[in-house]
Amino acid sequence: MLLLQLLVNGLVTGCALAVVSFSFSLVYSTTRVFHVVHAGLYTLAGYGAWSLERAGIPAWWGLVVLPLVCAGLGALVQLWLYAPLEQRRATHLVMLIASLGLLAVVQNAIAAVYTPNILQFTDPWRARTVALGGVVLTAVQVATVVLSLVVFGLTLLLTRRTLLGKRIRAVASNPFLAEITRLRPGRTYVAVMALASALVAVPGVLVGMDLGLQPYGGTTVLLTGTVAVIAGGIGSLGGAFLLSVIITVLQNLSLLVMPGQWSVGITFLVFVLFMLLRPRGLFARAG
Amino acid sequence: MRDHEADTTGLAPIFSRRLLGGLLLAASASRAARAADPIRLGAVLPLTGPSAATGTQQQRGLQFAMTRFNAAGGLAGRPIEILFEDNQAKPDQSVLAFNKLADLNKVPVIFSGYSGPTLAMAPLASRRKILLVNGAAQADRLATASLYLINTLPVIKDEVAVLARYLVETGKKRAAILFQNDAAGTTGRDDFIEAYTKLGGAVLGQEQSSFSQTDFRPALLKLNSLQPEALFVMLSDGLSALAEQAQQMKQDYLVCGTSFFADPLAMRHPGAVGWIHTQLRVKAPPEIAEAFQKQTGTEMEFFGSQYFNAGSIIFRTVGRLLDAHKEVTGESVRAELFAIRDFNELIPTSFKTNTASMQVDVVRIEDGMDVFVKSYTSE
Repeated sequence: MLLLQLLVNGLVTGCALAVVSFSFSLVYSTTRVFHVVHAGLYTLAGYGAWSLERAGIPAWWGLVVLPLVCAGLGALVQLWLYAPLEQRRATHLVMLIASLGLLAVVQNAIAAVYTPNILQFTDPWRARTVALGGVVLTAVQVATVVLSLVVFGLTLLLTRRTLLGKRIRAVASNPFLAEITRLRPGRTYVAVMALASALVAVPGVLVGMDLGLQPYGGTTVLLTGTVAVIAGGIGSLGGAFLLSVIITVLQNLSLLVMPGQWSVGITFLVFVLFMLLRPRGLFARAG
Repeated sequence: MRDHEADTTGLAPIFSRRLLGGLLLAASASRAARAADPIRLGAVLPLTGPSAATGTQQQRGLQFAMTRFNAAGGLAGRPIEILFEDNQAKPDQSVLAFNKLADLNKVPVIFSGYSGPTLAMAPLASRRKILLVNGAAQADRLATASLYLINTLPVIKDEVAVLARYLVETGKKRAAILFQNDAAGTTGRDDFIEAYTKLGGAVLGQEQSSFSQTDFRPALLKLNSLQPEALFVMLSDGLSALAEQAQQMKQDYLVCGTSFFADPLAMRHPGAVGWIHTQLRVKAPPEIAEAFQKQTGTEMEFFGSQYFNAGSIIFRTVGRLLDAHKEVTGESVRAELFAIRDFNELIPTSFKTNTASMQVDVVRIEDGMDVFVKSYTSE
């Protein structure tokens, strides 16, 4: 039973992480910006939902409102930060530093407004438990799995079956060609940033509701998420999703054979070995 | 010429008297100015960053003590001034802040908090003979880190020994441990294993967490499977998340810990009902609690009261030195503190060694409040 519960817990955590990973992958593979502010928007979404709850609005409304808010903020980050830097021919390193700087601003602003203490939601529905074949899950954990799979499916549909999706893929594969064929990469970047930011708000709200909020919590999540993106193969949304789930399941199951303090180290050691054997990642695009 | 001489002779005593009067006036003004010079002490606390909530409360405790002493006339007529430096709870920042206070401001006493930063400053305190006063950190190494480090509350070992005694007395002899992987957490774990097993208890297993972690489910699941009678928790953060997740798992063991459990958010959580923990006496008389609330706008919680106590102890000691017209240095404050030995400030505190001894209660959390269970005295 312990094995099953750990496995399910790993799957739940993995689903939330997967949305962070594949939305980050979407940004990176299209814009080539190592967009660490993604972690800040993830955190901000949770705090936004908490504020809604404090204002007397059910926190789950955050799942409707915060993706829209974060989409707007993500678009602004592209328009006001990355696009001007790109116009000045800033290197990837400069973009990364600018992104890190903005992340620090966001995190410290959150800490200043909400205090650095861990905040908990109070809505009782999220803590209700459901027993499924001896495995106990909270309502929020169930919602996390369902919504993560839904947004993943919708994103795949959008990138493969819509005009915007085709534009994103065209810009991602050759921005220069996209420019001369009047695909306007700049607009596509804004759309991608808005989409990814809306996506990351979903786990931001759900994980906050489940485990509580901490201003600096998003950084570790993004770090693990980028590992999943690289191991899954840059540009592969499915790879990022799958590797996120594998990493968290491994971390959980490793507790069966070793103390918890070793689980993160051993998991990442496996990742390092994996990268030595397959440096392009599990589902890397050819060419 | 005579007249002139006569005049000169006549005026000389007047000039001399005026000159003397002027000199006396200047000297007395200078003495008055010196008497009104503030007594400057330093404090290195986390005022920004993840530990800012705690650091700010510690700052409020010191400021409240300072306000009260200053309102009562200061120390031998001189007002107290505390120079605060922010260390973000980081050891490297603490060392920089310590040097600034020592070199630029020449303070004889520096208040500190958190084990890591205090341990980083302890060698400097020894070298510079500046008294470092820790009012909240409880890592065991603090007890022996420096002759110039004074801990105004017992270290974890003392509290954990009380808790282990209580558990064994109440028949809970199989325990698991959940600890934070920092100095306080690991020393707490080691102390618990030592004290508990010495008394006949058995530790079935242990799991760790990191600072500001909020997902305890995997660790709780594993520890649950060991079927302990008690879970000793040594976390300084994330207790409300732990309370919620432990409640969801419907655990049937006793959750117990030290005064780290004095987290209002966690205490108010329904999942924390029935938790047992040790607690240093912190209940302030109503008039002091009200005055604190009025001055700071917050309740006088654990850290506020501990730093009010620490500040009062040091101010009392410095006041005694000034009353006796002695120089205020780190050495003299330390010597005077041991000469006084027993302080009856907010919390009765005694110094047989560098680490204070005081009464330790075992309390149970009920409806967001601590309910007294039993009392012991720390060694």
